[in-house]
Amino acid sequence: MTDFGSRLNRRTLLKGSAATLAAYSVSPMLIGRAQAQGADLANVHEYAAATAKELAGGRSITLTILQPSGSLGNVKPVADEFTKATGINFDYVEVPMGEINQKVLLEAVSKSGAFDLALPATFGVPDMVESGILVNLDEYAKKHQPADYQTDSLFTVGDYYKGSLYGYQTDGDTYLMFYNKAWLEDEAEQKGFADATGMTLQVPETWEELDAMMAWFHRPDEGKYGGALFRTQYFIAWEWWGRFHAKGFYPFADDMTPQIDNDAGVAALEELIAASKHQYPGARTNGLFENFEAYGEGDKFANIGWGGTQKYLHSDKSKMKDQMAFGNMPGGMVDGQLLRTPYFNWGWNYVVNAQSTEPEIAYLFSLFACSPAMSTIAVRDPAGYFDPTRPAHYSDQSISDTYSASFLEAHRASMKDSIPDLYLKGQGEYFDELRVAIAAADSGTKTAAKALSDCASAWTRINRRMGRDSQQEQWLFLKSKYPSDVRDRLK
Amino acid sequence: MDRSFMTTALKRCAVILAMLFAFFPIYWLFATSLKPFEEWAAWPPVWLTDNPTLQNYRIVFFPEAARAYAADQAGSLDYKVSGSAWKAFQDSAIISTCATVLSVTFGTLAAYSIVRYRTGGENYPFQFLTVRMMPPIAVVVPIVALFSVLRLSDTYIGLILAYTAFTLPFSIWMIRSFIEETPAELEGAAMVHGMTQLEAFTRITLPLAKGGILATALFIFILNWSEFLFALVLTSGNVTTVTLQVANYVSASSGKLYGVQAAMGAISTLPVIFFGYIIQKHLVRGLTFGAVKQ
Amino acid sequence: MSEDVKNQTGGDDTIAPPASRRRLIPFNVALVLPAQLTVMAVVVVPTLIVLWLALTDWQPTQGVPWWQADMIWFWNFVDLWYDERFTNAVWRTLFVVAVCIVIELALALGLALLFVEEWWWKRVAVSIIILPMMIIPVDAANAFFMLFNDLGPINHLISIVTGEPFQFSWLSHPTGAMVPIMLCEIWQWTPLMFLMVLTGLMSLPQNQVRAAIALGASPARIFRRIMLPLLSPVIGIAVLIRSIETFKIFDPVYILTRGQPGGATETISMYMYNGAFVYFRMGYIAAAALIVLVLVVSICLAMSRSLKRYS
Repeated sequence: MTDFGSRLNRRTLLKGSAATLAAYSVSPMLIGRAQAQGADLANVHEYAAATAKELAGGRSITLTILQPSGSLGNVKPVADEFTKATGINFDYVEVPMGEINQKVLLEAVSKSGAFDLALPATFGVPDMVESGILVNLDEYAKKHQPADYQTDSLFTVGDYYKGSLYGYQTDGDTYLMFYNKAWLEDEAEQKGFADATGMTLQVPETWEELDAMMAWFHRPDEGKYGGALFRTQYFIAWEWWGRFHAKGFYPFADDMTPQIDNDAGVAALEELIAASKHQYPGARTNGLFENFEAYGEGDKFANIGWGGTQKYLHSDKSKMKDQMAFGNMPGGMVDGQLLRTPYFNWGWNYVVNAQSTEPEIAYLFSLFACSPAMSTIAVRDPAGYFDPTRPAHYSDQSISDTYSASFLEAHRASMKDSIPDLYLKGQGEYFDELRVAIAAADSGTKTAAKALSDCASAWTRINRRMGRDSQQEQWLFLKSKYPSDVRDRLK
Repeated sequence: MDRSFMTTALKRCAVILAMLFAFFPIYWLFATSLKPFEEWAAWPPVWLTDNPTLQNYRIVFFPEAARAYAADQAGSLDYKVSGSAWKAFQDSAIISTCATVLSVTFGTLAAYSIVRYRTGGENYPFQFLTVRMMPPIAVVVPIVALFSVLRLSDTYIGLILAYTAFTLPFSIWMIRSFIEETPAELEGAAMVHGMTQLEAFTRITLPLAKGGILATALFIFILNWSEFLFALVLTSGNVTTVTLQVANYVSASSGKLYGVQAAMGAISTLPVIFFGYIIQKHLVRGLTFGAVKQ
Repeated sequence: MSEDVKNQTGGDDTIAPPASRRRLIPFNVALVLPAQLTVMAVVVVPTLIVLWLALTDWQPTQGVPWWQADMIWFWNFVDLWYDERFTNAVWRTLFVVAVCIVIELALALGLALLFVEEWWWKRVAVSIIILPMMIIPVDAANAFFMLFNDLGPINHLISIVTGEPFQFSWLSHPTGAMVPIMLCEIWQWTPLMFLMVLTGLMSLPQNQVRAAIALGASPARIFRRIMLPLLSPVIGIAVLIRSIETFKIFDPVYILTRGQPGGATETISMYMYNGAFVYFRMGYIAAAALIVLVLVVSICLAMSRSLKRYS
């Protein structure tokens, strides 16, 4: 948090509070009118703070936030600003990153009331809504949310479930590609590649191009590898998800029949397995941080990751700093035209606990925290993991310095058109079946076709257990939220 | 002569080997807690650090100071752990102590009743043993459901009750074996002299068994302090324990913070080591429910 | 044990209060009441709840409280029968118990035999050897996590021995990951077996051993024919108790692998934890819990009955 930013915000907050107080004192009718208008996007944070303060009405209130470990640097500076403006205090409960979704669901069972707000991973929200632990925020949004609040943010699909709002997105976790710029722009390599494959050596637009490039650069005897893409069981499904959508299909048909085992799905899986040969040796066992370090060595062509990946790769710890070109997750050629399918596969949402005694104030804090002004402060934290989600972030200087301007350009383009993850009840079960199937095919235990067909049967069973009609309702809603460029081109 | 010297030498070497095997993981834990960040997962691994640092302990107890310290170091890692571990130590102390007191008190009363009165018959004490036979996870699922109805989730009382119930088999059986070692005639004699049942128990028998009861208390404290599963499932942040706190030391860009976890582990295990050595003589009796006495 | 009590108290060991003193609740019953009630509240009532839950397919995402869940009768048990992950977890746990107990016992016996004599630093040696028992299990598991890291000291030692860099990923390997898990358990609890066997050895009647030595029997023969049979009650108790505790193994599995990759290292406790608190299929897991409870209690009763008969 830079001093410049906080001073500026404190001043504007004071100005805003003074203005609101002035409006208060003038006449009750004027107050009513100011609230009905809500606020505009630029000072929605002031509005949220002022409204929360009014609701608190002088009571001493403490909001508890359940947050994933490591995010305090993103959350606390914003919460401190809120405290300064409203006098409402905060308590933090930290849980390991991989467990926060379970902790929120456990709350549905134990009803302990231990937290008012939580920051679960976005793909867990459907389960939480179905278990009744989240407050439906539609009413509050109608009262307080400015008209362009959500349209300003680049990815908000995960904020909604079956048509209602349940939380605001804080982290721009779009999945994108990193390339070794020196190798890409080397003229000898370009000529050799063009001669061998007939394709141009540049930031690839389709998986076919990327696979060819990774094969081209995979020279283990020279100490060079095609890619550092993940082949661990947990991560591998994400790459397949992108490859599958790039062939032009939704994972479910409109009647919830799984389509993952169709020809496109099998082809996508077989191409993924073929690409496994061109990854570096650690791809099967290395997790996220090992991936950062491995790619930072500078001996691999392609990598896949998030903003957090770039934070490492653009730091002094990495040899790839300023040596990279960036691109969307590749797309595919569908009906003769390029179809781009960037993919948003994580994210953290502020949600409000149904057991909370102050749901509206909690909502106002999340409105405050995800406002352009405040979320910029959160994203600025150089060691946290909230990545940019709003235009305001991309034009902030310190954020640009952390990520590098060329990365932000690619990140923004990817965010704008990202397809969502499978935001359905039971997401974990669907994806676990997928992971096991893909890993089995990748390790050779099953053929791609058999693995996916077994997975599709499992998905049908899960549909039945979750309630097919309920799933269908959400699936059709989710389809309508796919980016407009992509929505109508997928079958 | 030489042959027996060789055998003895070999025997002693085997003992030393066993000692090394026993000590090595503990050494690694303490050694890692003193390592600076770069050495946590270096290759080849650092067996004895040349740059011992207290930064890991600072993070555990004084995270703000740790952040200030890290800010001076170029390229040091992003310590983003939130609160200090004081709350975990506090909560663990409260819960372990209360649960121990309850367990020993209830256990003493029950053990006395069983020994002197044969309450419930011969098989009654075994009913308590079945509590230890069940995998705790099997009971934890309905306990979560039960606690949600009773509003005991994530409370001190809930955890204390759970710990008390699951250590009662130990306290009953251990204290029973200690009371069995006190002669009943003394009580009988005291009652002839006009003491009531209760007075005879508290003034004659208890003092005789108090060493054993204290050992049982320390033993049960160790069990409570080290407990993990119930704490994992029955708390949501209002209450936390030292066993849970270690898992929080994971960073978004570096994975497990080994040094910090080692520091937390080293400190939190010290009470167990301390008490464990005090009751060393009674460990076997405790862990075999009084069946085997050292 | 009842014989011991009789011997110590000289026959009449029940001291019932005189009739004039009897109240509504007999004094002796009042004494066990606190313990009994606590156990009933925290153990018996939940077991009843398990009986209910096992007949439903309750998941919190169904949006209803657990007591309003739909009954599906015995279908959970049918599903469990065909659930490979469940049956694998059971077999895997039994495997872990068998391997750990055998190794712990062998090590404990061997070690205890070294400690029958006296030497000047014997007490120090005992203190160090029992140190593993006094480490909090999750911290021990974390220590083993660091030891078996790809870049950790175990791989380093193996590299030195084989002369080539050895960076095997123990904790991501489906079968390899069982090694650190079992090693952690063995490391932590062999000292207990050691102490028990040592106690047993120290209390062996010396006459038989001395007579055998005088008659010229070899140490191996003495061990096999005299010491082992005399030690068998202690060994029996040790095996019984350690088997029960090892069956429940959870902390090392949770810290080291969480049962990953893909359930390959799941023990029965880890399976139930994952099922109940990661996938939240609580009705299903309640059914699994019921099966496990019945299994464990019946095996324990069988084992302890044979122990009573044997000793």
